[in-house]
Amino acid sequence: MSGVKEIASAIIKSINGGDTLTTIRIGAESFHTDTVKIASVLLSKKLGGIYITTSRPSSHILAELEETKTDLSDLYFIDLVSMTVGGKTDDPRTLYVESPTMLESILLNISLLERRLKAKKRFVMFDSVNGLSIYSEARVLKEFINVLGNSMRIKEIYSMLMTVKEQTDEELASALQLLSDRVIGE
Amino acid sequence: MAKKEVTKPITLDPRGGRPRDKCVTYIEGIDRILNGGIPIGNITLLAGTVGSGKTTLAMEFLINGAKAGETCCYISVTEPSSKMLSNLQTYGFFDDALVKEGKLNIFDLTVINDRLGVERLDGTYTAKDMEALLGAFEDIVDELGVTRLVIDSITAVCYQLPDKGSIRNFIFRLSQFLSTFGCTTMLISETVVDSNVQTYSIFGVEEAVADGVVLMGNIIRQGDLLRSLQVVKMRGTKHSRARHLIELTPIGLAVVPLLKWGQDGGQAFT
Repeated sequence: MSGVKEIASAIIKSINGGDTLTTIRIGAESFHTDTVKIASVLLSKKLGGIYITTSRPSSHILAELEETKTDLSDLYFIDLVSMTVGGKTDDPRTLYVESPTMLESILLNISLLERRLKAKKRFVMFDSVNGLSIYSEARVLKEFINVLGNSMRIKEIYSMLMTVKEQTDEELASALQLLSDRVIGE
Repeated sequence: MAKKEVTKPITLDPRGGRPRDKCVTYIEGIDRILNGGIPIGNITLLAGTVGSGKTTLAMEFLINGAKAGETCCYISVTEPSSKMLSNLQTYGFFDDALVKEGKLNIFDLTVINDRLGVERLDGTYTAKDMEALLGAFEDIVDELGVTRLVIDSITAVCYQLPDKGSIRNFIFRLSQFLSTFGCTTMLISETVVDSNVQTYSIFGVEEAVADGVVLMGNIIRQGDLLRSLQVVKMRGTKHSRARHLIELTPIGLAVVPLLKWGQDGGQAFT
């Protein structure tokens, strides 16, 4: 499986099949564009979502999503990048986290945002696990992913852990596989 | 027909017994940690370092109580009440009407002292001053029907007491009458960190007399400061002893368990 269409349809199948947590593996070359396309497909299927960005400012992702002409009224962002790099931090649908080391803030912010989601079927897109690994030790990251995954299972929010194929070492990949219901994009 | 077997729920409290009535803080994470809230009439020492969120937590405790129809009182020791009132405007969960309706009362200790004539040049209370001050607190709680009280900070009051015996006596007497009135109280304790060890109070007496101790602090994670909270003791309720992360959000305090690996390995508790 390589094309974004196949990945998107595998995600839809996974949601309909009752999965709650998946790891999505995408190659570095098309990672950013494919991730935005997947979000757009889910929104067009009337899912509401929270997009967590650790690798690019949310304003960039929002601009790309606006180009797809998808209805973005039920999409919110948690941005771990903009405050660190002094970017734009005034978007009303975005909660900004001061530093990518503040992992617990992500969980808190999901709790705040999930109350705003209108759709019955909801998703969390975590873009990307690799972005966080720059700032956190492997054991902290694994613990966080474990807490995040189980927390989303309890909330019954479909969660996607986006990973860059080339940047994911074996240890992290096996930890993700163990936690996930399914790995898409292998 | 055989009698249907009913599975009894497992009780998680090994002590069993009847739970005490709780003063619900309406701060979601805090009530979860405290198994429903603070037992009514308890005196809790809210101990923490500078900037750890003590005053915000205490204020939300009072504001939430006032919104629920209780009469709440804040005694400011370290800053003028006018300054505290203007700081309150910055909280999204604050409502001016609570003050106007007399649900949230803010007193300035220096004003109380002036009225009692106990302000001394050397800054030390005599036994007579102490009695007068306790009497004034009792009058406020009794006459207004206060059910939630915050003294910010007890440390500043203790500095004016001559010795540890007087501090113990003062807090013990305070807790006695507050408990009688069913007034749930938070005493804010300013603490410092010495060689990575955080104490519960400056004088080392307050925590022994209080019914509960909640420790707040800052954790350093790769240079960033994270606010933390941990309930060390709370008489009359089963509670979590895990360390939690707190964040000040526009809708109030938010609490989440701290990552276990994220608090060790060179991360000091300051």
